[in-house]
Amino acid sequence: MGQRARRRWPSLVTRRHIALHLAALTAFFVFLVVILWLHTGPRAVPGLIDLLHDPEPTTRILASEWLTSLGRDARSALPALIETALHDPTQDVSAAAATAIRALDLQAARDVVNGSFPMLWDPNAEVRRKACVVLGNLGPAAKPAVPSLITMLDDTEEPVREGAVTALGSIGIPQAEIVAALTQAMQDPAAAVRYRAAAQFAVHIPVTAAAVAALVELRHDPDKSVAALADVALEHAGQNPRHDVSALMALLERPGEKDYALQRLAQLGREAADAAPILISVLKDPLALNRYLAAEALRSIGPAAEEAVPELIAALHDADPVVRESAAEALEAIGTPEAKEALNVLRREKAE
Amino acid sequence: MNEHPHPARLILGLYWGSVLGSLTLPWLLLTLFEYSAHRRTLSEAITYLRLHFFAPGHQYFLVGLLSAAPFAVCAAFLLVHLGWNPDVSRAQYARRLAGVLGSLTLMLGTSFWTHVSALLYPDGQGTVAYGFLPYILLVLIPLGYGAGRVLFAFAGLFRHGEG
Repeated sequence: MGQRARRRWPSLVTRRHIALHLAALTAFFVFLVVILWLHTGPRAVPGLIDLLHDPEPTTRILASEWLTSLGRDARSALPALIETALHDPTQDVSAAAATAIRALDLQAARDVVNGSFPMLWDPNAEVRRKACVVLGNLGPAAKPAVPSLITMLDDTEEPVREGAVTALGSIGIPQAEIVAALTQAMQDPAAAVRYRAAAQFAVHIPVTAAAVAALVELRHDPDKSVAALADVALEHAGQNPRHDVSALMALLERPGEKDYALQRLAQLGREAADAAPILISVLKDPLALNRYLAAEALRSIGPAAEEAVPELIAALHDADPVVRESAAEALEAIGTPEAKEALNVLRREKAE
Repeated sequence: MNEHPHPARLILGLYWGSVLGSLTLPWLLLTLFEYSAHRRTLSEAITYLRLHFFAPGHQYFLVGLLSAAPFAVCAAFLLVHLGWNPDVSRAQYARRLAGVLGSLTLMLGTSFWTHVSALLYPDGQGTVAYGFLPYILLVLIPLGYGAGRVLFAFAGLFRHGEG
């Protein structure tokens, strides 16, 4: 055994082989990293546009979600996303595409709103329901669809009314009209619609005095789940709105929560006046959705947001037409002589 | 070399096998998991893997790459350690081989356990585990090497004792 231990191995692998194999391993990893690079960021977009046409709905949903996460890099996919939101046969795919559009481009979101209007009057209830779901997934960008969605609350089909209630809750602005519509929906003959309406007050929409009476009545609803949700919503009604504003202002510091906080501030109306200085700073945010929501929040605050007038006048020349439109509405709502003069100048410029 | 072709084949087998095995391990486990736990067909499971290879929130390709990186370091080490010097004795070679096998076994076991845990309990901690796994595996190279050599020495003592 000792003799065997002393015996030498012949050359196992030559040093030249070692160098070659190490070089091959390095090249292999470089190749893998290049593959990864080619499939991430804006380079993934053409492949994802192809996936939007995949026969499998889950694949199309994945592609939409992926494009959402790419942000502005995915803008070249907007035509395909608009097509998917409006014409995909599967409701969940259209909804995912609408969510992506909401994050990418406000004007594209408005294109989907305009494209959805005819679908709201389609004789097929499934198509009408799908249109409601798509509009809801566009969020506050679908504000122009609110009057049409309110009329959908009189639809003969329960799933359509349910879809309209959910969409109104997700859009959330203008608050007064939506609260009135949802309060009306809490008296719907269908328990599922009443449940959806109560859920909006329990989760999305701040409970105003106008909604309290209807919610109190709903506590005696024969459907226990509806009554329980009314209780939850009424608990929220008792909270101090000033605390809400402080919490929402803190949320504005978190990038992932910014649009949610802005939407909630826009729903609080004059009670959000304390947030005006921070909303003014958001008017310069790089994301158009945030600038739009800040202008909407200032509009809902009204004359108390007087200090925002110079920045709102500047926002009349924003790169995004939806932000410009919202800034004009905010100036109209604030109504100071300076704001009115700026709007007159704008109107004269448009007329010329 | 002609007299003993097996050591070269063994070294290169360990070298490429460890890299390719560690790279494909998470993908194979995910495919098997989708096939067994989510009751997809094998073809559906493979399609699922392909779709989620680069998808945000999944990034299985990156997971494979991160898992394989420490194995590549270990593979480079084993190639040089076992193959560079032709004058090592048979006993010395066996000790080195035991150390290298100790490293690979410990790393593969840890990698396997991490991937299976992340699949069984899919939450935020799984992502954290994937982030830390390469560093943990790098630390396990010397630890596993030492453990392999100690075990080999114990095995030798045991054989001597029996003799």
